[in-house]
Amino acid sequence: MSNKLDSNIPSGDIGDKWTKHKFDMKLINPANKRKLTVIVIGTGLAGASAASSLGELGYKVKAFCVHESPRRAHSVAAQGGINAAKNYQNDGDSVYRLFYDTVKGGDFRAREANVHRLAEVSVNIIDQAVASGVPLAREYGGLLSNRSFGGSQVSRTFYARGQTGQQLLLGAYSSMMRQVDLGTVELYTRREMLDLVVIDGKARGVIIRNLLTGEIESHEADAVVVASGGYSNVFYLSTNAMACAVTAAWKAHKKGAFFANPCYTQIHPTCIPVHGENQSKLTLMSESLRNDGRIWAPLKKGDARLGKDIPEAERDYFLERIYPSFGNLAPRDVASRQAKYRVDEGHGALGEKAVFLDFKDSINRLGEDKVAERYGNLFQMYDKITGENPYKQPMRIFPAPHYTMGGLWVDYNLQSTVPGLFVAGEANFSDHGANRLGASALMQGLADGYFVLPYTIGNYFANTKLGKVETTNDAFKHAANETQTELNKFLSVKGSRSVESLHKELGHIMWEKCGMARDKAGLTEAISKIQNLRKEFHSNVNVPGEGKGINNELEKAGRVADFIELGELMCRDALTREESCGGHFRSEYQVDGEAKRDDEKFCHAAAWEWNGSADKTQTRHQEELTFDNVHLATRSYK
Amino acid sequence: MGIAKPTINLKLKVWRQKDNNSKGGFKEYDAKNVSQDASFLEMLDSVNEELINKNEEPILFDHDCREGICGSCGFMINGNAHGPQKSTTVCQLHMRAFKDGETLVLEPWRASAFPILKDLVVDRSSFDRIIKSGGYISVNTGNARDANNILIPKPDADEAMASATCIGCGACVASCKNASAALFTSAKIQHMALLPQGKVERAQRALDMTAQMDAEGFGACSTTGACSAACPKDISLINIATMNRELLKATIAKPEEHVGGGDG
Amino acid sequence: MLDFLKSTVGRKYIMGISGLVWMGFVLTHMAGNMLILVSPDLYNAYGHAIVSNKLVLYGAESVLVLALIVHVTTAISLTIENRKAKGTRYAVNPNGDKGPTLASQTMGLQGSLVLAFIITHLATFKYGKEYETVVNGVPMRDLHRLVVELFQQPGYVLWYVVALIVLMFHLSHGAHSIFQSFGFLERKMVKGVRKFAWAYAIIVAAGFLSQPLYVYLLKGN
Repeated sequence: MSNKLDSNIPSGDIGDKWTKHKFDMKLINPANKRKLTVIVIGTGLAGASAASSLGELGYKVKAFCVHESPRRAHSVAAQGGINAAKNYQNDGDSVYRLFYDTVKGGDFRAREANVHRLAEVSVNIIDQAVASGVPLAREYGGLLSNRSFGGSQVSRTFYARGQTGQQLLLGAYSSMMRQVDLGTVELYTRREMLDLVVIDGKARGVIIRNLLTGEIESHEADAVVVASGGYSNVFYLSTNAMACAVTAAWKAHKKGAFFANPCYTQIHPTCIPVHGENQSKLTLMSESLRNDGRIWAPLKKGDARLGKDIPEAERDYFLERIYPSFGNLAPRDVASRQAKYRVDEGHGALGEKAVFLDFKDSINRLGEDKVAERYGNLFQMYDKITGENPYKQPMRIFPAPHYTMGGLWVDYNLQSTVPGLFVAGEANFSDHGANRLGASALMQGLADGYFVLPYTIGNYFANTKLGKVETTNDAFKHAANETQTELNKFLSVKGSRSVESLHKELGHIMWEKCGMARDKAGLTEAISKIQNLRKEFHSNVNVPGEGKGINNELEKAGRVADFIELGELMCRDALTREESCGGHFRSEYQVDGEAKRDDEKFCHAAAWEWNGSADKTQTRHQEELTFDNVHLATRSYK
Repeated sequence: MGIAKPTINLKLKVWRQKDNNSKGGFKEYDAKNVSQDASFLEMLDSVNEELINKNEEPILFDHDCREGICGSCGFMINGNAHGPQKSTTVCQLHMRAFKDGETLVLEPWRASAFPILKDLVVDRSSFDRIIKSGGYISVNTGNARDANNILIPKPDADEAMASATCIGCGACVASCKNASAALFTSAKIQHMALLPQGKVERAQRALDMTAQMDAEGFGACSTTGACSAACPKDISLINIATMNRELLKATIAKPEEHVGGGDG
Repeated sequence: MLDFLKSTVGRKYIMGISGLVWMGFVLTHMAGNMLILVSPDLYNAYGHAIVSNKLVLYGAESVLVLALIVHVTTAISLTIENRKAKGTRYAVNPNGDKGPTLASQTMGLQGSLVLAFIITHLATFKYGKEYETVVNGVPMRDLHRLVVELFQQPGYVLWYVVALIVLMFHLSHGAHSIFQSFGFLERKMVKGVRKFAWAYAIIVAAGFLSQPLYVYLLKGN
């Protein structure tokens, strides 16, 4: 079965693969590029950078986003920074070290060749961003400034205050808007992809719902790029934006694109804790806080005192205690899990589900001004949300779903199992393995869009014979009809449950049974609960309004229906993977609370194939992973 | 969190409008037992949940990240863009800012260049068209030289960042009695004029972006400062002074005309 | 250049330049008229000197009239467009930290009042009663007498006080906006410019106000 998954990794030494591959790939002459259309779904970092780069090359690009403007894509919310192996700090960094850290950080479940390429192009990303006007932080000498980040011992993270994602996105957005101005990119806003159209086995177009008018549109193309982000909102409460959904990727999955490693989800350690039943989302605070903040839990169980009232002797700086060499900068999965253990053992801050993040020592050492300069906007945000002043008392934090390493399976060329369908950014599964290191999501999104897809899509065109297709083709008509039928169904149920309440219920199941720790019994239970929830959804959902015009509830209904199907697959994937690795922690497989991998049985990526119906169990395929350079070892940050 | 706060009850007067062609009007709703730890949008979520359960159409408002950075959300609360708190988007506004029994009037951004789409949602694509007209640096992917070859004095970088931090929410236009987009447009002009990379095209950029700003039907700046006061990111009025200067300089220098903005 | 002058930004330059002409004028006008506090003869001689030099007089007058026309018509065109740009107004006016100042909300009203003031002012003085007097053997118009006559009527003084306070707000906004509109403003200057604008406006208004008040209170009988 695994013959279905050819990763197409080029031969040769790890350091030469990408260079060699770039030369081996065929080119398209400029006159022919004009005749080729590429559809890009999503205009976050990956989508916008892909659209602008492809437009610059001369392709006809159609870019779609659900937002009113590409600038609102959720990449905008990334705070901390972006990694690059520039070694500007002369602290021993190199492309190979970034590669090494990322493979190790991913707990040996990523594809080595992809990760090395990512590390290689990381340096170009910084150059490109600066050239396009991104105001990255500078030192007094005018040179770029760096900070350190979790899971790494060198300072390789570039940043723009606490708004790195925003600035990089605005950079990619402005590059894309330039192409819109020049006419190479056509921009379609407030549009949601609701199906992929496959003709003769190749991706040839998409079905789009115009979110303003409710109209169903068909768009044909020669290749489709899905860059629609991650699926953390399957947990209902996550740090993702409200519109983040799996829908575009899921529809592609149903049309033949395998979905890989869905159970690899990242729970981010430094989020503001949940405050009540009506909370709509969780707010992340940049991991960069861990550079100067110290994480601790009260030694006394059930200690209800405010953090500032607990004396030094009664505090447990647990990350510093357990991981003396990385301390508070331990990777996200590790830090999150330890916080969960403290809470489970009854050492939660104020007796609740939280631990403390304390800046007292840094304020004493650096002064309030310096701390404010580094983290002012985050402190302000915390203050706004909680009404507490973090300069005066420790913050309270708790892990929250944040990023999903899993996604549509792609080969080295970022092409999915459907020829002509490429997947970029968080929507694909490729580079982070079972755990993503901080400041590497921005890096991957831009790497895919700026520096990988422009080459590999050209190679696809050069090697593929593509006839002309029209949207009048039966495949388009059929897909458009099916989409309309599904929407009509949602509207016609007129049951008694709001979409929101069903989403909340799903999120609750996922967080309890497929969250920071999972086990066989829980996952089995979750699968049957989700199957029931799916029935409940389709028989009892209440979607007010009509299909024409703006109908937010109808949009949400479609997204939640997909999340429910995905949730089941996540649990099944987690159940099948009988080991612990990175963000996937099976309670049965651990040594003293640390993840215990099983490289004998599970040193592979699992990619799931849709079998035509949500009632049919999906087929699991494997892509074996080899580690020729960074040798398999137990990850240790102690 | 920690210490539970009492809940409050509010009366909402919300602008409801079916679509751009329909006439809108205010409708009253009760928001009961609102936790003061909830955000303003979470309060609206609960009102909507009740409406849905009564089979009524929920109140539509734009929102996405809910952490004050995407710029999607925004409407007027009692005449204040994003509500009464300074430096805050409405998604980050928490119910602690309100007292029990208050009546709150919610209205969409009002500006001819921001047509109302439905309820509290307006069309801000005019902002995209202003950026499209020249809010970029013409550099193709792959052309960049090493990032540290461009030295940027820290004060310039910081100032550029302060302008670049604009989230494009439109509160400046909404709070301006003239519906002027001067703050939005000038922030981008200032951001790029301060950086060495942006200097090459600065004259053309100023000409194109201000021309587009006028063409969209935004009003003139009267220097009242209402925009900056309402700005959730505290974008300074100084940016507008820069824009005016850049435009005058560009007009005097008369750069060569080229069609459709900067060509790569 | 024409495009520039038609743009919203360009028209703010026009407002600024025409305003600047009048700012210079009101300052010198106020300073010269302070002679009323010194002596009637000096006051009349000063007035006579100005009207005697026809070239300077007509030159200055035409510049002022032109600036006024440009200032007013540009203001009207901007106001019309701004109203159109805003469309529907809000049901509730803003308040608190984000609320606008009264001065900035009422620029148009202020402008109209100032214009009305200029017209009545010209009608009562420039084209008002012609009293005759002789100073140092030179026959001339006795403006001083006219001024004293008018400023002994409380209603007239009150109108002057109101108009000058409005003028003060108008001038302070203008003086401040010029820096902004012309793009002279730098971050470091913000506070200084605001102070300067108020200082200028207060000096002009206080100087002018001292004249009717002096006449009304001290020359009352």
